[in-house]
Amino acid sequence: MNRSAIGMMLGGLLNVGLVLLAAPFFQGVLRKLTARIQSRQGPPLLQPYFDLLKLLGKEDIDSGEMPCMQQFAVYLSMATALAVTCLVPMGFPAPMNNAGDAILLIYLLTLSGICTLLAGLAAGSTYSLVGTSREMMSMIALEPLFVIAIISGAVHTQSFRLDTVLHGSVYATSGFPWSGLIMIVVILLSFQAFVQRAPFDISEAETELMEGPLMEYSGPKLALLKYASMVKLVIYSALFIGLFDPWGSELAFPLGWLTFWLKVVGLVVLVTVVAATHARYRIDQAIRYFASLLVMALAALSLATYGY
Amino acid sequence: MIAPYRLKQLREEFGAAVQRADCPSDRRLFLFVDPLEVKRVCRHIFRDLDARYVISIGVDDRPFSGKFLVAHDFAFDKDHLLCSVLTYLPPDNPRIDSISDVVPAANWAEREIRDLIGVEPVGHPYPKRLVLPDGWPDGVHPLRKDFAWNEVPENFDPDGEFKFEEPPEGCTVVPFGPFHPTLDEPAHFRLYVEGEMVRGCEYRGFMVHRGIEKLAESVLSYNDIPMLAERICGICGCVHSVAYVQAVEAAAALKVPPRAEYVRTIMLEIERLHSHLLWVGLACHIVGFDTLFMQSFRIREPIMWIAEKISGNRKTYALCVVGGVRCDITYDARTELRQVLDKLEAEWTEVAAAVSKDKNIQKRTRGVGIADPTLVKNAGLVGPVARAAGVDIDCRLDHPYAAYDRVDFDVITADGCDVWSRVLVRMQEVFQSINIIRQCLEKMPDGPIDLKIEDELPAGRMGLSSVEAPRGESHHFVITGENNRPRRWRVRAPTYQNLQAVPMMIKDQQIADMTISLGSIDPCFSCTDRLETIDLRSGTVKVWSQKELLNLTRAKKAQD
Repeated sequence: MNRSAIGMMLGGLLNVGLVLLAAPFFQGVLRKLTARIQSRQGPPLLQPYFDLLKLLGKEDIDSGEMPCMQQFAVYLSMATALAVTCLVPMGFPAPMNNAGDAILLIYLLTLSGICTLLAGLAAGSTYSLVGTSREMMSMIALEPLFVIAIISGAVHTQSFRLDTVLHGSVYATSGFPWSGLIMIVVILLSFQAFVQRAPFDISEAETELMEGPLMEYSGPKLALLKYASMVKLVIYSALFIGLFDPWGSELAFPLGWLTFWLKVVGLVVLVTVVAATHARYRIDQAIRYFASLLVMALAALSLATYGY
Repeated sequence: MIAPYRLKQLREEFGAAVQRADCPSDRRLFLFVDPLEVKRVCRHIFRDLDARYVISIGVDDRPFSGKFLVAHDFAFDKDHLLCSVLTYLPPDNPRIDSISDVVPAANWAEREIRDLIGVEPVGHPYPKRLVLPDGWPDGVHPLRKDFAWNEVPENFDPDGEFKFEEPPEGCTVVPFGPFHPTLDEPAHFRLYVEGEMVRGCEYRGFMVHRGIEKLAESVLSYNDIPMLAERICGICGCVHSVAYVQAVEAAAALKVPPRAEYVRTIMLEIERLHSHLLWVGLACHIVGFDTLFMQSFRIREPIMWIAEKISGNRKTYALCVVGGVRCDITYDARTELRQVLDKLEAEWTEVAAAVSKDKNIQKRTRGVGIADPTLVKNAGLVGPVARAAGVDIDCRLDHPYAAYDRVDFDVITADGCDVWSRVLVRMQEVFQSINIIRQCLEKMPDGPIDLKIEDELPAGRMGLSSVEAPRGESHHFVITGENNRPRRWRVRAPTYQNLQAVPMMIKDQQIADMTISLGSIDPCFSCTDRLETIDLRSGTVKVWSQKELLNLTRAKKAQD
């Protein structure tokens, strides 16, 4: 093993450790801020850590149709989320830059959605299945959006390398960056859906489907699913920052790093405020909304191929 | 003089079929008709005279008249008249023509009579068991007088299962309830779903019967019952206790002191305030808008505190007794109530403005859960559901009680027929309630708050009372009796009628709209289920320890 491989692995581990450590904190920020908006006191910032620890310490009960598949889906969803963290820059250049490219990133992002489907299907209860079908419908409309953003960046830079694509590549045109600006609007408008918060928490919809795909999960399995969704909030924020707002990350160590995490906090605050001020959409309304975004995104992609 | 006029009209139409009639006041009419003519009379009243169907009541009157009694109650809302069509039936094999095909709203009430009293509605379109538990033997009718309140039939099968209908072809079954986060109480809707669309549903409710009516007519006394009536519902309890005492007062011709009437009015409106605020919050929660849910609960809290200051309780005020009320509104409480109302009005104006401009909420509620005027008429819908369809019925105005004839207020209506219109109606009604309480505080006369009743109440008299609960009309029917307790007391909560229309409201809608459509009638299952049941396992009650339960589930798991 050469030195760069070891460096890569250490960097990846560092990212994973950092995200695992920080993700519940952002969830805490989200919950506290939501509570303040709702005139409530809210839980302490560290509450999500305690929640996870409590769930992890509970008895592991098999309650679905296919316990083995459920177990697998849960591990896979956490593993996928963590694999993505190795591929995105978080205040440093992406640690596993040479081990994967933008295509792998796209695959992994899709896989994390598929894990939810798998979890719901394996659980097999009626509500899980309804939630799964909703998840599937919204995935079909939603997943292409980030893919198009990444691809249009790749088109601009003529490269699939992560460090090139995830560095403001969407604006890397010779002229005025039309496609980049359209894509930032599209992704901002759909960001709630990627991190599965209101008004797009449709597949889990507590008051309709009782958590949908998650409803048969409890104890450690639920902890992992919840943990994965907290991690998702961080990785999508990191992806957004990498694609659209990478400036400041190249500053010397503490400064660039701090800038990055401050931006993450900014995005979490945005997500919280939007979630706290909107009612949940119905699945058909959401799909129509995603479809119009998709049209915008495709227009941006064709602009990108012509160099705008 | 409307009651005698209507009576004359009906006598001309039906001649000798109207055997006897009684007009205790200009607002009540009791019509005794020939059993063979009941259906014709009811059709005439419901269709030709355009009265609103209220409820049907079965009574086991054998110990007194040797017969069964069935009453169909109707309301002439614009005439301020409540009318009861009564029929005596023979003691053996009692049967009556079903009116459900001409008055669809009577569907549940007739099935209930069949279950509990054992009067067979001949020609009922869907004579399936409604109220009794699934393992209850046929032919045993718990509301009959020869059935003791604490009796369990010998061949009762606690494991009996309900037989559901087959779902239509191409549909899958999504069980909604008995326990679901949107339902605060148990009720079971078996939804037939095609993709995301609901194509139909079957309802099985009445899971939390507490035998309240049976208890009242066999164990309690007149003044115990208001306290029990309050416990029918955790939200509109005061409505039930007022409706009950008013029905008794009407039957016994008691005149309540004016101050007591004002106190009742104020407490009823306080109850409406907190109920509507709670509902707006819950509706927002159902569509996933928790911020407004939290805010309306915050705004609601001072109302609970002032209710506690006046009555001693946040809820379940223990306010009414026959002939008056138990607590007065003191000078201090009056001042504080005014302040609470001012603050509430200011805050609610903001909320109402914010909600009525919110496109997001409208997106989820417009065109959802449609109940048009035809459905309102046929299913006998009441309250905000009817008013949101442009039908301006409100018992406070149509059948004035307490001090409502001495205050001014508007009946809020909307014409969207959908959930959004129900939101608007309820939000505006909050302002009307604030207004009513202010007027009451202004006009309330001094004087006693209850009647001193020394004589025993006369037996065998009938009383009707309709009270506008936050969710619609609560109708109580009382026959006074011996031993200081009524012979029969029938409660018809607004949800009893409104719930029957839910399958029509959710048909061909998405599952996502099901919860808010159901929520929009402000369902109260405890009110609807109030009736007869006997503790299923009395005598053999077993308390399971946590360990035993755990072992049991593990044993079951091992079997699988």
